[in-house]
Amino acid sequence: MHLVIVGNGVAGVTAAMDARAADPRAQITLISGESEYFFSRTALMYAYMDVMQRRDLEPYERKVFREQRLTLLRDWVVDLDAGTRELRLAGGATVSYDKLLLATGSRGRRAPWERDLEGVVRFVSLQDLDACERLTPGTRRAVVAGGGLIGVELVECLMHHRVPVTFLVREPSYWPAALSVEEGDLVAAHIRAQGVDLRLGTEVKSMEGDGRVTGVTTTAGETIACQMVGVTIGVEPNVEWLRTVKTPPELNRGVVTDQAFRTSLPDVFAAGDVAEVEGRIEPLWYAAKRQGEAVARAMMGEPVEYAPPTYYNSAKFFHLEWTCAGETKGPGRFRKLPGREASVRVIERDGLAVGFSMLGTRWNHRVLVKWVEERRRVDEVMGRLSEAQYDVEFGKVAL
Amino acid sequence: MIRDRLYHDLTNRGITGWIVAALLVWFYIALYFTESLTPWAQKVGLSSKWDLYGVLYTVVILVGGIAMIRKYGHNRYQVVRTGVVMFVQVVFAFSIPMMLKALHQPEYYLSYFWPLKFDYMNPEYLFAQPWPFVVYTLAASLVIVPLLGALIGKRWYCSWVCGCGGLANTMGEPWRHLSDKSSAAWKFEKVSIYSVFGISLLLTGLLFYSWFTKSKAPEVVQFQTWYGLIVGSILSGAVGTGLYPLGGTRVWCRFFCPMAALLGITQKAGKRFHIRVKEDMCISCGLCSKYCEMGIDVRAYAQRNESFTRASCVGCGICSEVCPRGVLRLENQSGLVQISGGR
Repeated sequence: MHLVIVGNGVAGVTAAMDARAADPRAQITLISGESEYFFSRTALMYAYMDVMQRRDLEPYERKVFREQRLTLLRDWVVDLDAGTRELRLAGGATVSYDKLLLATGSRGRRAPWERDLEGVVRFVSLQDLDACERLTPGTRRAVVAGGGLIGVELVECLMHHRVPVTFLVREPSYWPAALSVEEGDLVAAHIRAQGVDLRLGTEVKSMEGDGRVTGVTTTAGETIACQMVGVTIGVEPNVEWLRTVKTPPELNRGVVTDQAFRTSLPDVFAAGDVAEVEGRIEPLWYAAKRQGEAVARAMMGEPVEYAPPTYYNSAKFFHLEWTCAGETKGPGRFRKLPGREASVRVIERDGLAVGFSMLGTRWNHRVLVKWVEERRRVDEVMGRLSEAQYDVEFGKVAL
Repeated sequence: MIRDRLYHDLTNRGITGWIVAALLVWFYIALYFTESLTPWAQKVGLSSKWDLYGVLYTVVILVGGIAMIRKYGHNRYQVVRTGVVMFVQVVFAFSIPMMLKALHQPEYYLSYFWPLKFDYMNPEYLFAQPWPFVVYTLAASLVIVPLLGALIGKRWYCSWVCGCGGLANTMGEPWRHLSDKSSAAWKFEKVSIYSVFGISLLLTGLLFYSWFTKSKAPEVVQFQTWYGLIVGSILSGAVGTGLYPLGGTRVWCRFFCPMAALLGITQKAGKRFHIRVKEDMCISCGLCSKYCEMGIDVRAYAQRNESFTRASCVGCGICSEVCPRGVLRLENQSGLVQISGGR
């Protein structure tokens, strides 16, 4: 059997390794145009900040791929024919498959005001990192538009290189998708304390310049001179390339699959950020890993009914760490911790704790998730919060 | 920008890194094998080159320690640990020996133990000392060191007390990431460190045998000289510290130190100290592996949700500090408690 995987991100590589463990004889090929070896997209910012080198981004030693007999092809897939079970590559070669996994991940969304000028960057791929590194030395000011997690990472990198940054965030409070207004204020204050010119409730209206970008004009009517513009308004499934192939699978926002990751094409599966599993997209590292494990079982013919577990996530805004579990929105109990940039928030419904949002200290999300799943009462968990703390030794924070 | 590039060069085996390494090696050769530092010591009013070395060593640990505390001030473990490192260096590794010397007493370094301080278990030397020192040395080397290693891990020594570790975790901080993370380096480490440990045990055994039989074969004398030269001077000094800018800060501690070998064994056998991995939260970014001075591929454990104890881990806690998702935590606990536990 020849198992071909398009995309060597965490979903694709996890699937390849698990498939190899399940079937020592299968021929397994990973195809990626982005990089020859699997790397951690999550660590792009550390490469940009020069605290890691490119090779450090690779989670496995290269010899692992030889030992596991995973064939790596560095090329872009340009055509898919489900009838003849063949892929065509940009380099001209064709690859035939018995089973195919589409794991092409996410890509940065394009903004309506965006123009293709030199100096406009995203921060999702290795090529984006190349562009950022190339552009940084000639940049006296940068504008980053979009206040999600990638946005704040890009801001941190630029500040690290002593490039002044204006950070434009559409929403009136910081990251309302997950943070309450009080939490948003805490994070915004922290970001400003790093010297970032953070502007809430402000969007880009248009870009200035031709050839290289020279500035942006905001919805407030101000023109900010800059030589780099980071577009970080979110990611979307990387499906555009599938719209023009001979036999496209059914696409909605992502590649549509059932709970066993089967697409509309025979023996073609999709997993990771690119997959829309029963209408749901999970653009998270751990979810992609989980889906990679599950899709490997599905491709090996095991019955799989994938359902996402209780949500949890974590992030870091400059030096401010954040952990959440369960739901993040809705009424709840918020407490700012005395004397430090930290807070706890328990989201409450009918007296039950349905979610946690913890800022500035460390938490064991497993305990929080368990409380949500066990439908514990808010009054109870508020008294037991210290059981879920995960601070360093000598550093346990008084709640 | 130039400052950044220079720092990158110095800390990533660039030309400045090589120059600093060459200077450090040159310094150690001059210190161990020549008297060229003696006039410098006398110029500043010190009686020997070793006193000068002690002063320099202490100053460097203090300066590096302050930088360390400034960098990791938000992390109590790092602040407490670095504070202890500085305290031990100033008091036990510098002031007490200097005072003893001023009082014309033997210079005892009470923070160094056999098998790192090899002579302290040489019966010829040991039993010529006053009894409190004999008791202290025997109790420390044979009971306290392994017991604490089993209870709280080798870190109590390697990253809290030891001067070699102290230098690595203060002045050496900018080079900690240069340790070799490959599985080949791990294989080499297992062979080299237990070889040195075995040789140190053998030599100690021979010295005791010679002492009991009151006859020291010339081969044993020669063995002792060579051990002192290769392990004491070349590996721990010139290679261990001189190669900071090329091989990272723990080349000696990881590959050669017999004390680290002994402590590593007790750390593994004690089954208490471990690095706990928070389940399914690792994003494989690799900062933990990159900044592990012992070259442990921490990410490999974290990304497969495996809490672990490695013999080489000195418990410096930097993996936990740099982890952007708070996945790693140093713990002393019998048996790995189920992570989804609660109580």
